[in-house]
Amino acid sequence: MEASSRPQVVPEINEIPKPPERETVIKAIEAIENGPATLRVYMEICAKCGTCAEQCPTYYGSPEKARNPAARSDIIRSIYKRQKTIGGKLLGDLAGAHDYTEGEINEWVNSFYECTACRRCATFCPFGIDNSVITRKGRAIIHSLGLTPKRLLDITAISLATGNTDGCGKEGFEEAIKFLEEEIEEECGTRVSIPLDVEGADYLYVPPSGDVLVNPEATMAVAKIFHKLGLSWTMSSRYFDGANYGLFTGDDAAMKEENKHYCEEAKRLGVKHMMCGECGHAYRIFKFMMEKGKWWGELPFEVINVLPFTARLIKEGAIKVDKSKNPEPVTYHDPCNFGRSCNIVEEPREILRAACEDYREMTPSGTDNWCCGGGGGLAAMDDFREFRMTVSGKKKMEQVRDTGAKVVATACANCKRQITQLMEHYEMDDVRVGGVHDLVYTSIVM
Amino acid sequence: MSAFAIIVGVILPPVTFVVFVAAMLSRFWTWKKLPQPGMTLFPTSPKGTAAGVLKETLLFPSLFRSDRFLWAVSWLFHAMLALIILGHLRVMTDFPWLWNALHIDANTMSAVVGGAAGVMILLMLILLTVRRVVTTRVREISSPGDYFAVFLILAIVLTGNAMRFVGHFDLAASRQYFASLVTLQWPMVPENGWFLAHLFLAQVLLIYIPFSKIMHFGGVFFTQAALRRG
Repeated sequence: MEASSRPQVVPEINEIPKPPERETVIKAIEAIENGPATLRVYMEICAKCGTCAEQCPTYYGSPEKARNPAARSDIIRSIYKRQKTIGGKLLGDLAGAHDYTEGEINEWVNSFYECTACRRCATFCPFGIDNSVITRKGRAIIHSLGLTPKRLLDITAISLATGNTDGCGKEGFEEAIKFLEEEIEEECGTRVSIPLDVEGADYLYVPPSGDVLVNPEATMAVAKIFHKLGLSWTMSSRYFDGANYGLFTGDDAAMKEENKHYCEEAKRLGVKHMMCGECGHAYRIFKFMMEKGKWWGELPFEVINVLPFTARLIKEGAIKVDKSKNPEPVTYHDPCNFGRSCNIVEEPREILRAACEDYREMTPSGTDNWCCGGGGGLAAMDDFREFRMTVSGKKKMEQVRDTGAKVVATACANCKRQITQLMEHYEMDDVRVGGVHDLVYTSIVM
Repeated sequence: MSAFAIIVGVILPPVTFVVFVAAMLSRFWTWKKLPQPGMTLFPTSPKGTAAGVLKETLLFPSLFRSDRFLWAVSWLFHAMLALIILGHLRVMTDFPWLWNALHIDANTMSAVVGGAAGVMILLMLILLTVRRVVTTRVREISSPGDYFAVFLILAIVLTGNAMRFVGHFDLAASRQYFASLVTLQWPMVPENGWFLAHLFLAQVLLIYIPFSKIMHFGGVFFTQAALRRG
């Protein structure tokens, strides 16, 4: 057949018109003038003392100007100065101001995605500047120009379409749950059920999807705990993943839309408590943004978290754990979003000290803990793997190594992925990574 | 009076006063009225917030945990600055009742405490500047504006110290001068070179402050409070 006789396939043109770059950037940065208040203050008071750089996991792994947190924040600060301050308008460079030129946005993608948004700098900054807020602003601008890394866009889209970041359907989820129930029965001889979609239950358990589909021990532990207590609880077969990547891409609209589904599901089921699992950023959004920030008004349920829940049960003796089941040295990695952002520091330790024979602290730990190197959504991105291993995660590897622990327990699916990969990369093959409740699962006395 | 004395001592002061007060008030007002969602870094109670902010602004504990050298130098710098600002009240007026009540010889105290503070703050400024130049992570984020602030304060400290250590300074004349300024009378500006230079630079600083990073002394209350509010 002649090529010319073939039916001509006209590619469908449905490209969204790209917004004008310079105008979009300038407008977004000028808007800082109208808040949030802290972001505006950050534009004006940084004294350039260098404290943040000393506390940054990325700068630790690679001390160069592009990775200095103050320099990264200056990307936006210098344009704000140029547009909105008298000094910046009159003196330009001399006042640390900078005029945006077309094309710079492409460098921004790397800069703002090399910050793990761990907020460690904010806990040490004498002026209380939280560079993660500036990073998120940068990412929001990147997003509005359609340049968010594809992997994160995909995760957000999948999550909005299916209700979970793994894109798992209702049937797949029900099957996974059935499998977990069989696992538990096989292991301890007791039939423990994981109720789904039960209206009127007291507790709705919302873990990260990985705690059902990848490392399910945490969910199995929760099932055992509820079984022991005889409380009414349920999971939702459609909304079982608290992860919300809009927090990482700076896409507020997607973050709220995603969140609304979960809020409505909890209302539909009529639960009294929405209990978030081992996922720091999910709990931060549910507790501090949705509930305290009153995104959807007053809620008929209370947001709680599984770490304080279990810690209290152990302390009160309502459930018993047998230390001897976890004899290896265990350390705890504080996920940034649990420690620094939600102040959940002591509870996971109380659980681990009760459930493990040899618990060891990293130095430093708690709200001063170093980021795993995969925060801010980075852990999900394989394009950043080399960077995560050799730069942002270097300090975490050293911290784990110094404890001599054989198990790293942590309460975040992204931290787990990152630290697992770190252990592979640095050939620390004898170190296992898992959740806090994984160790409850193996030690709970039935 | 020389033209310079009239410009610096008569014309500039009301301008400085108006610019400084208006710009500062507008700054604080804007910051206060802007919306602020919760930040959730160390979420705590209102009482805990107040205590945390007070501790942070008086003792710099964050810096203490991070960089002991910078903490010591910058805390001493700010403490000396506070002391010096307080001491300047004596240049403008006198408090004989206070000295009598405390049984203190004000002149001796001023010479010892004021003199020591002047030398100490100079030393701290030099250390801060050297640190900015020799530490890579600080040098690479410094712009000319950062050096301008340091050198301006350095010049003010040097001219201030010169009045104490180099020439003779007439306290009575300066009190007379400030009294006329405050009561809006045509003042007699003391014709002392160091004094005029000092007065000029100090006014440049006051006008510069509301538009510069020196605002960190006010902004820090907003940022530290916002971080703690759940």
